[in-house]
Amino acid sequence: MAEHDDTIARAVQALKEPVRIDPSLTSRVMSEIEALPMPDGTAGRATVLEWLRRPRTIRLSPLGGLAMAAGLTAVVLAGSWFAGPRGTPAPVQGIATAQFTQPIQFVLVAPEAGSVTLVGDFNDWNLTATPMEKEAGDGVWWVTVPLEPGRYRYSFVVDGTTWLGDPNAPTLEDEFGRSNAVVTIGGA
Amino acid sequence: MRLETLTMVLGGMLWLAPGNMHAQEPRLEGRLPDAARAQVNTILDEARAAGLPTEPLVDRALEGAAKGAAPQLIVSAVSRLRGELGVAREAFGETASLAELTAGASALRAGAVEGDLARLKELRPGQPLTVAAAVLADLVAAGVPVDTAITAVMALARDAQDADYVAFRRNVQRDIALGASPAAALGVRLQAATDLAAGPGGETGSTTKPPRKRKP
Repeated sequence: MAEHDDTIARAVQALKEPVRIDPSLTSRVMSEIEALPMPDGTAGRATVLEWLRRPRTIRLSPLGGLAMAAGLTAVVLAGSWFAGPRGTPAPVQGIATAQFTQPIQFVLVAPEAGSVTLVGDFNDWNLTATPMEKEAGDGVWWVTVPLEPGRYRYSFVVDGTTWLGDPNAPTLEDEFGRSNAVVTIGGA
Repeated sequence: MRLETLTMVLGGMLWLAPGNMHAQEPRLEGRLPDAARAQVNTILDEARAAGLPTEPLVDRALEGAAKGAAPQLIVSAVSRLRGELGVAREAFGETASLAELTAGASALRAGAVEGDLARLKELRPGQPLTVAAAVLADLVAAGVPVDTAITAVMALARDAQDADYVAFRRNVQRDIALGASPAAALGVRLQAATDLAAGPGGETGSTTKPPRKRKP
């Protein structure tokens, strides 16, 4: 037991002594590092280029050729899909589109109407997109649409066939032989 | 076929295809005949290439379709609007918003010229131009002579906020609805607005220049 204690005591003493480091260690390590080749990937690139440029012969069955052509067509169409303005067009540089919207109420008095819809620049002039609601008994049709600041042209369509302007808004002749009302939404 | 040749062909097709394929606006499908739709899509492509917004052009085509207009009339209307948006862009600059360009195009349609829009921008540095240009178009729509409307909008340009322009237009329209002549209504309201901006005995920073050359 006493022998073990002595061994432990000597080990502790040895651990307590300061570690002596060769003063030239740092310079030797740095010299070794500098002697190593720079990891610029030149050799790797050369290997890849060599692999890419090495001639090969590939054999295709007619069916395989057709499959490759179909795959290529799909890739090309996908590329044009992402590059082109399908769905929501890509924003044009310099065109600011992010604005705050304001609820704008459109009102038409049409007691005899069976249905009234609102069409305009804000709903693709879609005859069914924005139906108006009728107040019970008084023939007043209304709908509220959130609009960003800007100038919008619009019309009311009564019973799906009769186009009407807004008697409470400026009216403009259009280029199609009818007229539109205009609403301007301020941003400040 | 060598692999490198195949790779080059594939790469070339991928590089060329998206730019050369005709972009199709999906909202026009089923709304316009094929020939007219192709022509409108060409105009949209040109607008995109010029950095112009296509949304107002699509709206114009859809408006014509909804109203049952003749296809060539629709194409003509879209083409004309594309030209007006281009002029508005020249006047308002590259940073003009979609709303500003649309309003600028409306002002041009009402009879303003590019120089008028450029001067409006000059008079309102750093301020939005949408409402000012739209009110110009609205005043002309209400029957105010175009030169008079331009003079009024320019006179208010330095000091007026958007809400001031909207109130000004509303007052003019109300006076017209009550029986005043458009020019007289505008004159009275403009005098009141400039007096208000000047304060007692003051002077506004607004400048009015003689109307420039109009469209024939």
